[in-house]
Amino acid sequence: MKSVQLVLPLLLVAISGQAQQPLIVKDSLGRQTEVPSVVRRVISLEPEITRIIVALGAGETLVGQDYFLRYQDHLFPVIFPAGRRLPVVSNKGQDLNHELAIRLAPDIVFSSPSETGMTESIQNKLRVPVVALASVGKVEALIAELRLAGDILGRRARAAELERFFRQKMAVVRSALDDVPAEKKPRVYLAFWGTLMRTPVIYEPVDISGGVNCAAGLLPAALGAPGTTVSAERILAWDPDIILVHGNYPPAERLVTVESILTDPRLRSLTAVREKRVHFTFGYWYWWDPAQVLLEIQYLARLFYPERFRGFDLEAEGNLIYEKFYGIKDGYTAIARILNSHEWLRETK
Amino acid sequence: MNGFAKRNKKATLLWLAAVLLPLLLVVVSLNIGAYHIPLRDVWRTLTGAGGVPGAGVEAEAYRDILFRIRLPRLILALAIGAALSVSGAALQAIFRNPLVNEYILGISFGAAFGAAVSVIFLGRVFPPQPAAFLTACCAVLLVLAVAGRALAQPVSLILTGVIVSALFQALLSLAQFLANPYALQAIVFWLMGSLADAGWKDLAVSLPIMVGGTAILLLLRWRLNVLSLGDEEAKALGINVRREKLLVILAATLTTAAATAVVGVIGWVGLIVPHLVRMMAGADNRRVLPLSALFGASLMLLADDVARAATSFEIPIGILTSVVGIPFFIFLLKKSRQVWL
Repeated sequence: MKSVQLVLPLLLVAISGQAQQPLIVKDSLGRQTEVPSVVRRVISLEPEITRIIVALGAGETLVGQDYFLRYQDHLFPVIFPAGRRLPVVSNKGQDLNHELAIRLAPDIVFSSPSETGMTESIQNKLRVPVVALASVGKVEALIAELRLAGDILGRRARAAELERFFRQKMAVVRSALDDVPAEKKPRVYLAFWGTLMRTPVIYEPVDISGGVNCAAGLLPAALGAPGTTVSAERILAWDPDIILVHGNYPPAERLVTVESILTDPRLRSLTAVREKRVHFTFGYWYWWDPAQVLLEIQYLARLFYPERFRGFDLEAEGNLIYEKFYGIKDGYTAIARILNSHEWLRETK
Repeated sequence: MNGFAKRNKKATLLWLAAVLLPLLLVVVSLNIGAYHIPLRDVWRTLTGAGGVPGAGVEAEAYRDILFRIRLPRLILALAIGAALSVSGAALQAIFRNPLVNEYILGISFGAAFGAAVSVIFLGRVFPPQPAAFLTACCAVLLVLAVAGRALAQPVSLILTGVIVSALFQALLSLAQFLANPYALQAIVFWLMGSLADAGWKDLAVSLPIMVGGTAILLLLRWRLNVLSLGDEEAKALGINVRREKLLVILAATLTTAAATAVVGVIGWVGLIVPHLVRMMAGADNRRVLPLSALFGASLMLLADDVARAATSFEIPIGILTSVVGIPFFIFLLKKSRQVWL
């Protein structure tokens, strides 16, 4: 998982003049980069940004695709089937194939801020602006990214529309929970990244949905690391009300499952295990898919407070969100089929 | 008091410390952890004396923490510390080289490669430990096969170990390169070396192998003295050098492979502990091996206590032993100004 301490929110430093003037943008590494006013050809090495580009309706500007999205992400083909026709511009190590990239003649390259040296190297070799962006698990940073990508790609209106939609949906959740006292909020443990013991110290969807992440603050924020390792005893000491298991993995690749936690004899005294409040959730997926994280916020709110979200239909809501972001019908239904998340849905009803 | 009596007293104190230290650390370790259990309740839960403390869920949590988490973890730490230290000491003796460690014959990368392949191809169907154990043993067998008749020559064997290690390191890199990102995360976590997830299931298979291998090495301790004199001297004293060396290597391999397969690569223990012991007790392997077992067990338990109690998160013990062990080792060498063997 990429981890970089960022200066947030991302800032649009200066917009000099009107439409035909180049923009100067500040990226997640704090670099100021001049980008052309009209961008027609894009390479994105950061899956989160690629998803945002598709959501902005600028999928046709993509001239290449990164290795992960093409060969390893079982979810991306649902939201952007046309990606299969694009050449793959990076290898498994996320290194750019420079010669291919030069041939594809992008106007801009989006890279990952976790590869600090790579960003400058690509810019020097390709002589095109390279902007390093990632939300690193901050919802506001994700929205800022959406806005910035809208500015760069000339899709400001669409970015503003998606931002409004995103904020409205979050506001609905927040307003339904604003009278929940702090001591009534469920304490949540997240078993992420394929092991019981790895857990994110930052997971904002839990906070927004009215939960308390047991591991919050375990590492100093200055380190910028999204996760750490704890022991089984630490989990017992926390005694979480709810355990969430990273569910974006393909079912066959999941090393930790709801069942494995419910049957682990060491954990049998946990409140979450005794009350069978162990559930899959989506979790980070090369940071986020903006549609999925918005859906996850609502899904978690439903899990944490079933009585307050009684009439909530996750599948219908999921399909609405995926249609809004990606213009696809029954997009969530297709994702749910891949993740077997129909099972999760049943548990929330 | 004459010199002999002084030395005798010093040796007695050393043995006393070596035996008491792990016992003391066991008591301390049972009482520290993220979950606070009052001292009296630890004792009552362990012995059942005066009834089980707490009520309902709390009593169950106490039992689970002590019997299912702390106790197996503690036993595993003791066994691994003893196993790695004794293996390191034995290999240093037969190779007559103070820089040899328990992983010199390719065990660490052999085990890591096996674990990686298991995670990639078997995923959750099968735990990675059996594959790690098998490939660790294969790595050493490959060293022995390549070394062939050069087995009696320490430098050739060490060089072959370095080459085979490099081969398995390359294979591990290849496996990591080919692994999907989901498996890769699990592999990286395994490579860090940690007792965080230790349970009775880990002990069930590995403990008998570690105890058996360590026991064989301890029984061979006087022969190690003869072997460390040099091959010609050992032959003159009636030792079948090739057979004895093979036996030591196989016992050390089984021991180290069993430890590594369960918790990942925990470096420096097999190098530091025997050196520490030699500085205190001299180079006689009849003392070095059992003292290494006792101090190694203590060191590992202490390191694990720090790993789980120093911070609210868990520091992988493999990182801790390296970060703390290396400066400590340099300090010891500087202080003693010589390497004991």
